[in-house]
Amino acid sequence: MAYYSPTAILTDAQKTPTTFSLAVPALSPLNNSAPITPTTKLDLPLWLAEMLAVSKPAGPSSSALATLDMPAALGGKVLNALRADPRSVELRQQAQWFYGLGERMLELFEEEEMGAVLLDTFKQRALEIADKAQNTRTAQQGGDSGDFMSGLDETERQLFRAAHDGTHAVKKWFETTSRT
Amino acid sequence: MALPLPPGLTPSEVGFLCEMEQVTVIPRQRLDGLELLGGPTEALRPPFPTPLPLWLALLLKKQRRANITPPPWLSVEALTQILDFEMDERTAEVFSPSPDLPAATTTAPLEGDPYLAHDSLELSAPFLKDAATSRAQADALPYHWLEVGHLLLTHAADDFDDPDTVRKLLRDLREVRMSKLRKGFKVLDAGGGVKMNGVGGMEIAEVRGFVGGVVDELRRLNRSREESRREREAEERENGLGSSSYRDDEDEDML
Repeated sequence: MAYYSPTAILTDAQKTPTTFSLAVPALSPLNNSAPITPTTKLDLPLWLAEMLAVSKPAGPSSSALATLDMPAALGGKVLNALRADPRSVELRQQAQWFYGLGERMLELFEEEEMGAVLLDTFKQRALEIADKAQNTRTAQQGGDSGDFMSGLDETERQLFRAAHDGTHAVKKWFETTSRT
Repeated sequence: MALPLPPGLTPSEVGFLCEMEQVTVIPRQRLDGLELLGGPTEALRPPFPTPLPLWLALLLKKQRRANITPPPWLSVEALTQILDFEMDERTAEVFSPSPDLPAATTTAPLEGDPYLAHDSLELSAPFLKDAATSRAQADALPYHWLEVGHLLLTHAADDFDDPDTVRKLLRDLREVRMSKLRKGFKVLDAGGGVKMNGVGGMEIAEVRGFVGGVVDELRRLNRSREESRREREAEERENGLGSSSYRDDEDEDML
């Protein structure tokens, strides 16, 4: 992803559970000034956690500073729910940039199955987004759209906006050319 | 930062471009040929039908200096026939075909299709001549069918025999084709494509943002899987296939 893309920056700022495997005194500000010992668990932003997980300290021990765990948003519970019915899960409650987080995790872990579930989820939800974006006016009056939107993650919201803008622009052209 | 416009033409740009289509007018007043940026127009001599760009034709129509002859595909019979094709169960998967391409003027080094060759210049969809004049093909919707149909029906309705029926048929066609496009969304995939032969400019502009967004995201989600697949293939090629020369030949053919 692009360096200056706000999407990429915000995606990387999401928290991931990280378990330290060494004592790291210099990083104690991360832990509210409490000392960091092996087995300390912290929720760190993805960019920081990734750097800690891949960097190896100089010295005899060959293990990395910390190990990454799968964030709860991509845990078994959520994936099972997605497998059962992709449309009923409120992805935004899991993570604001749910798919972005998923992509980053797929880069770091070999998780063939999670990738398949995410792809399938996205496809099915995209169809629903296309339908909902068609008739926002009726949906907004019924108050249904608000609920629906609150369950979408940011990528899906952009998709919703793109679909809606397309229909809206065509309608606007028809209206302006009908005048005079 | 770049322009805040999305990539591709927006619907209003497509609508603007469609006004360059030639339509046939029947002038009521004489007018000498005009030297326009898009090329000279023919002199108007009543009552001979003359091709003019749509925007000029609409202008003359508003000033009551000309009448516009609707293209043959914008008639009740032609539209009913096309609508039947669109609604038919046997052709539920495809859009009604666009007008026939003119015969190729060059011979291609590729056997068969000069339209696919890089060094020949053959006109196709948005640049076809006579898509909206009275010489247009009657049984096919051209690229700008929706825009031209709408503009003519709005500003030159009295030149139609039965504008209300034509308007209704156009609206039906638009809805049928839109629902077909929506069905096409289901097969969108990281590597897959939707066959969009015969889809008009306005329809493409309408769904471009959504389809582009879906495909982008699918590709991003699929990237790590794709990479590991490529690595595996590369490994297989290095490890096991030195012995079987047959597969090596095949790979080179693919390149």
